[in-house]
Amino acid sequence: MLFGNRRPLLPLFPLKSIQSSISFAFSCLILVTIVVTSLISYRLSVDAVEQNATGYIEEIIKQVNSNIQSYVDNMENISLLAMTNKDVKYYISDNDFISTEERRVYEKRISDLFQAILYTRQDIASIMVFGYNDRFVSDRRITSLNPNADVRNAPWYKSAKAAGGQSVISAPHVQNIIQNEYRWVVSLSRELRSTDGISPEGIFLVDLNLSVINDICRQINLGNKGYVFIVDQEGNIVYHPQQQLIYSGLASEKIDEVNAAASGASFTTGEGDGKRIYSVQGTNFGWKIVGVAYGDELIANKDTLSRSLFLYAFFGLAIALLLSVLLSHQLSRPIKNLQKDMKLVEKGNFDIKTEIGQMNEIGQLGRTFNMMVGQIKNLMEEAILTQEQKRKSELALLQSQINPHFLYNTLDSIIWMAEQKKHEEVVLMTSALAKLFRSSISKEKELVPIRVEIEHIKNYLIIQKMRYNNQLDYRLDIAPSIMMYRSLKILLQPFVENAIYHGIRNKPEMGLITIRGYEEEDRIVFEVEDDGLGMTEEKLEMLLEPVGGSGLSDPLQSGSGGKGIGISNVNERIKLFFGEPYGIQIRSELEVGTCVTIIIPKLD
Amino acid sequence: MRKSRLTVVFTVMVLVVFIYAFFYARFTGVADWALSSGEADKNVIVILKTSNVRSDFWQAVKGGIEAAAKEMVVNAEIQGPLAETDANAQIGLLEAAILRKPHAIVVAPINDYRMKDVLGRVREAGIQLVLIDNPIEIESPPVAISNDHLRAGRLAGETAISMNGGHPKAAIISDNVDVLASVQRKKGIEEALFGYTDGIYGTYYSLDSEERAYLIAKSLLSSGETPFNTFITLTESATLGTAKAIEEEGQAGKVKLIGFESSIEEIQLLEAGVLNATLVQRPFNMGYLALKSALKLESGRSVEPDTHIESTVVTRLNMYSPENQKLLFPFNENE
Repeated sequence: MLFGNRRPLLPLFPLKSIQSSISFAFSCLILVTIVVTSLISYRLSVDAVEQNATGYIEEIIKQVNSNIQSYVDNMENISLLAMTNKDVKYYISDNDFISTEERRVYEKRISDLFQAILYTRQDIASIMVFGYNDRFVSDRRITSLNPNADVRNAPWYKSAKAAGGQSVISAPHVQNIIQNEYRWVVSLSRELRSTDGISPEGIFLVDLNLSVINDICRQINLGNKGYVFIVDQEGNIVYHPQQQLIYSGLASEKIDEVNAAASGASFTTGEGDGKRIYSVQGTNFGWKIVGVAYGDELIANKDTLSRSLFLYAFFGLAIALLLSVLLSHQLSRPIKNLQKDMKLVEKGNFDIKTEIGQMNEIGQLGRTFNMMVGQIKNLMEEAILTQEQKRKSELALLQSQINPHFLYNTLDSIIWMAEQKKHEEVVLMTSALAKLFRSSISKEKELVPIRVEIEHIKNYLIIQKMRYNNQLDYRLDIAPSIMMYRSLKILLQPFVENAIYHGIRNKPEMGLITIRGYEEEDRIVFEVEDDGLGMTEEKLEMLLEPVGGSGLSDPLQSGSGGKGIGISNVNERIKLFFGEPYGIQIRSELEVGTCVTIIIPKLD
Repeated sequence: MRKSRLTVVFTVMVLVVFIYAFFYARFTGVADWALSSGEADKNVIVILKTSNVRSDFWQAVKGGIEAAAKEMVVNAEIQGPLAETDANAQIGLLEAAILRKPHAIVVAPINDYRMKDVLGRVREAGIQLVLIDNPIEIESPPVAISNDHLRAGRLAGETAISMNGGHPKAAIISDNVDVLASVQRKKGIEEALFGYTDGIYGTYYSLDSEERAYLIAKSLLSSGETPFNTFITLTESATLGTAKAIEEEGQAGKVKLIGFESSIEEIQLLEAGVLNATLVQRPFNMGYLALKSALKLESGRSVEPDTHIESTVVTRLNMYSPENQKLLFPFNENE
């Protein structure tokens, strides 16, 4: 009871036709497949490109690294050269010179050496030696030091001293020790020792133009936005294209992550458009060179990738959809044809034979359908035939019956005539009645020669004439040539009866019934004409109305009603027997008379 | 049977048409759309007061603009007259820029009576406008990025207080009464020194002449016992002239000198101890922020209408710190 009102389940594809259902299902399937494959291939391609790009950045940064390393190595070599140079050693050693002239010679020699080095190296800004003995020599002949710059407090000086013979690389800074010169350099400094290697004697300084490193970093192309930066051991920025912004807090850099990262490592930060890939390379002098590339640029053609994938998917989809429509059309077409034919059958056309294509399921369906329609058609025909047969025999039975009133009246007339001793008339009437009965009850076939039919009507008219005495006269005008043809039994009697009862009986004067019979082409025409009262339209229509369904009980009533067995029944009987083109026509005019024309085929 | 063959033929035809159309499209417009990467580049024209490579300040602004342009991936075209005072040339450049209809124009306007009209026309043309350095007043003020001269002045005053143990007595040497930057710097100093007895000894105008500043300082110093202990010079020329007078009078270190801006000469004076402090601007940041603001405006986001760039006090002690080195010695990338 609880689920008494359960609704039927909705179909999976709530579409009207099979074709659209199939297309819809196909389309969904294709859509899902294409979308899924596109997404997966997009993801895979992006991953692959990203991996490639990361490798590429690593390579570039390695290259930068080795370039910078080579410059630093070069400075190192220069420092070794100075360290092992005897002149330099002697010049800054603690021993006293005899004369300033002798000192000048040394100064000149060292200066020449440094100058020679400087000539070959454009990247070196200056080479200097500061002895702890306050002696000082540089690559220039005449060097005026900045009086306000305290060399001993310079970071490179102090750290070299602290490092004890190891070379020290400074962060980029402005070198201010030479008067009126403020250059951005990277300094390599190193403490020089005496020949025995124990006592420290001075500091050696090589300055590398920062522009060298700057150029290397700037020339690296890591996309439009990508850049290279350098941090030292402590995580201080050595070089960064946005150094000033970082100092002012307008920009930030992932220094901590870089510090934590090992050399050769890569890491990514950010998501989506802000994704950045950091590639870190360490150097043997403590700097870390970091390449930063932007994800959206690395996968430079990410958009291209997605758009061409989209295009491919779109075209694929379009073609697939088209195919699905065609395919579903192909599949559903025979069903549609079948459906169309079924519609025709529904309307009553049983002559349909549906076209059967391939002998698949639908073909079999079509074949079964054809068989079914054929059977239905046969059954229908059979039923019609049976019905007709039944009706025919009904009608025949109806007509062959003698109206009882007629019989009583006739017998009354005979009795009356016998009482009058009119023997001849009695004989005539009785013999006519006997003939009439004989032909009525004869077990002969439905069709009789016209001669017999005429004989029959003549007997009937004889009886009627005697009954109505001088009120009725008749004339038979039958072409002898038609006598041999066959006609329905008791064809004319209803019309004659009609003419008497409706036309002549109530006419004060003598009435005349003329029966004509002649052939016309391949037909035989009978005319039953009276000059009686004629009929109104309404009466005519009433006459033509079929009498009753079965019509069997009618003849009993029709005696009083005078309708006989019904004009329409005769008409139906003719049509049942001979077909549509045959039948009766009635022409009637008040006060003039009625003429019934009966047309039947010529039958031998 | 005939019908289905027709369908097959039709299908094949459609397929062929599709494939043909696709490959045809690859070599024409659709392909451009499909294979082009990213949006169309944005154009910004930047017109500085000068494009002279000798101007460290404007070269640093340019550096900031270039850094921002790289970061934001835009085309930034940087122009400017050769001389900082050439208003005609700058107006000419602006007019040419308007005709080219860039997405935005960044201008450091030179003071000129026609400038308001030209800037008005930039806006009428539907181009986003950002002013830098000199926020001249026009109707419905545009976004401006400028140095915070008022705050710089206040910093200078505070430096004077701390250098003199809380007893500042400052002589101010400005250039002109009607230069906005100088007026604001002076106002900042006055705010900082407000409440100190004789905090400001007097204000003098050098008309941006080193010689005049020298003469003013000389006359102030040569009058025996000086009734003030600090010079605050509002321009570079005033600083240099005053420094020369202090050195000549042997008053270096005794009379404090606090200047503005930076140049090699000023740096050397700092090193020598004649100039005790200078207030250095951050032109790189100004350029950087200007371009960023212009792009923000262009994409319809809200932008702070007035951005002030702060100055830094640089003294002898901190002048070689990594931060200040960058400010004092702009690294010329084209070197």
